[in-house]
Amino acid sequence: MKGDEGVSVAKSKDRMGYIFLIPSVILIIGLIFYPVFNTLYLSLFKYRIQTLALGKKFIGFANFTRLFSDETFYNSLKFTLIFTFAAVIIETILGICFALIMKKKIPGQGIIRTSILIPWAIPTIISGLMWKFMYTDQIGIINFILQKLHLIQGAIPWLLRGDMAIIATIIADVWKTTPYMSLLILSGLQTIPKHLYEAAEIDGASKWKTFIHITLPLIKPVLSVAILFRVLATFRIYDLIAVLTNGGPANSTQSLSMYTIKTYFSYGNLGYGATLAVVTFIISLVISLLFLDAIKSKIQR
Amino acid sequence: MVRSKRLQNIFYGLFFIFFIGMIVFPFIWQFLNSFKTQADLFSIPPIIFPTKWTLQNYIDAFTRQPFLLYIKNSFVIALGSTVLSIFAGSLAAYSISRTNIKFKKTYLLLLLSITLLPPITIINPVYLIMRKLHLLNTYWGLTIVNTTIGLPMAVWFLATFFESIPNQLEESAMIDGATIFQSFYKIVLPLVAPGIFTVSILVFIAAWNQYLFALVLNPLRIRRTVTVGLTLYQTDYAIPWGTMSAASIIVTVPLLILVLILQRRIISGLMEGGVKG
Repeated sequence: MKGDEGVSVAKSKDRMGYIFLIPSVILIIGLIFYPVFNTLYLSLFKYRIQTLALGKKFIGFANFTRLFSDETFYNSLKFTLIFTFAAVIIETILGICFALIMKKKIPGQGIIRTSILIPWAIPTIISGLMWKFMYTDQIGIINFILQKLHLIQGAIPWLLRGDMAIIATIIADVWKTTPYMSLLILSGLQTIPKHLYEAAEIDGASKWKTFIHITLPLIKPVLSVAILFRVLATFRIYDLIAVLTNGGPANSTQSLSMYTIKTYFSYGNLGYGATLAVVTFIISLVISLLFLDAIKSKIQR
Repeated sequence: MVRSKRLQNIFYGLFFIFFIGMIVFPFIWQFLNSFKTQADLFSIPPIIFPTKWTLQNYIDAFTRQPFLLYIKNSFVIALGSTVLSIFAGSLAAYSISRTNIKFKKTYLLLLLSITLLPPITIINPVYLIMRKLHLLNTYWGLTIVNTTIGLPMAVWFLATFFESIPNQLEESAMIDGATIFQSFYKIVLPLVAPGIFTVSILVFIAAWNQYLFALVLNPLRIRRTVTVGLTLYQTDYAIPWGTMSAASIIVTVPLLILVLILQRRIISGLMEGGVKG
C-alpha cells in the first residue's frame, strides 16, 4: 500500500510542478513572446504615429529593403559591432589576468574583491555621468592626468571627435564590466583541481604552457557563458551612450538600440522601428547560436 | 630565488595600487566633486580637493527636481519586482529541480531567451500593451517588466539551492499528510532562505539600475525613477555637474553600503552563477 501512496504522491507532485510554472510562463508569453511576434509582424507594415488614423498598411519587405540605402543604419551597425568586439575582447583578456591574480593568496585580496563590486553595483547611467565629466576636455581630470604624466601634449577632445568618442565609450564600458567578468572567470578557475597544476609543475611545464594546456581548456565552459552574455549585453548598448555621448558627435557612437529607440519614439515610425528591432534580434540570435555549448549548459538540469 | 620573489612582490604591489586606483578613482572623484563649489568644479586645471566644502549641491539635487519622489518610486518598483520575481521564480525553480515534469529543457530555454533577447526587440509592443492596460506611469507596469527580466536569475540560482536539499525531508512530510504546497513553503522554502536572500539582492540591484524601460514606460514625473531623473538635471544650456554629482552620490552610496555589507553573499552568488548558472 505504501508503494501506491508513494506513486500517487509523486504524481500529484508532478501535477503541482506544472502549476508552479504558470506564473512565470504567463510573464514570459505576455511580455517576451507576444512582443517578439508583434515586432516581427509590425516590421512588415507602414505604420506611423503621425498617420495613426490611417491605420497600418501592409508593405511586405519594403522596410527591409530600405535598410540597404539607410546610411544611419549602416553607421549604427558599424559602431555597435566595433564597440562590441573591442569591448568584449579587452574585457575578456583583462578579466582573465585579474582573475589569475585574484586567485593568488596575496595580502589585500579582500580589498580587491570588495572594490570589484563598486563598478558592478553603480548604475550604468551614473557611471556614464562620471566618465562624461572626467572626459571633459578643458576641466576634465583625464586630460589633466595624461598631461601631467606627459603622455599627451594638448587636451584631447574625448567626446567631441568621432574616433575618440568611440574609444572613450569602450573605456567606460570596460571599467564598468571587467570586474564582474573577472569574478565569473575566477569562479571557473576555482573549480580546477590543484593536483593538475602540481603535476604540470613536476613535468616542468612553463607557466604559459600550463595556462594554455590546463587553465584555458578547463575554464572554457565558464568563459564561453560569460563571453556570450557579455557580447549580447554589449551589443544592445543603450544606457551608457545615452548619457555619455547621446550618440554623437555626428552619430558616430549611435548604437543600433539607440537608432531604434529614436525611430520608434522620436520619429514615431513604428514600422521601420520594428524592422530595426528585428535586425537586432536576428543578429543576437546568430551570436547565440555561435555559443550553442554555452546555451546547452544553461538549460541542463 | 629570493630576488625573483621580491620582484614578484613589487609587481603585485604595483598591480594592487593600479588596480584599486583605476576601479575606485571615478567614484572618489565624483564624491569629491559633489562637495565642490561652482568655481572649484570649473577651475582650469582641475583641483582635486574642494577649496571650500559645500552642501549646496545636495540641496540643489533635492530642490531642482523632486528627487525624493524619484527615490521612493525606484524603491517601490525595485522592491515589488524583487518580491514578484522571487515568488514566481521560486515556484518555477522548485518545479524544475524537484519534480519530474516534462518540458524542463523547453522551459529553461524560454527562460534563457529573456536574457538573450535585446530589450529593443520587445520595447514597443510592451509599451503598447502597458498603454492598453493603463499601466504607463504606474508602479505596476514597470514592476511587471522588471519582474520578468529578473526571472532567469531567480530561477537559476534558486534551482541550484533547491537541489541541495535532501529529498527525504519532503517525502516524509508528505507521507505524514502534508500537501505539496505545505511541504514547499514549510520545509523547502525556509531551508533555502539564504539563497533567496542572495538572489533578492541581485534582482533588486538590477531593477534599481533599470533605465531603458523606466524611460519608456514611466516618463512622467509622478512615477519617474532615479536613473531617469538623474539625466534630467541638465538642460540645453547648462550641465550642472555639482548637482548631478551630488544626486548620483545619493543614489550610489546606499547601494554601495548594502553591497559592501553583503559582499560575501553577493560574490558567492555571482560566482555561483558563473559556474552553475
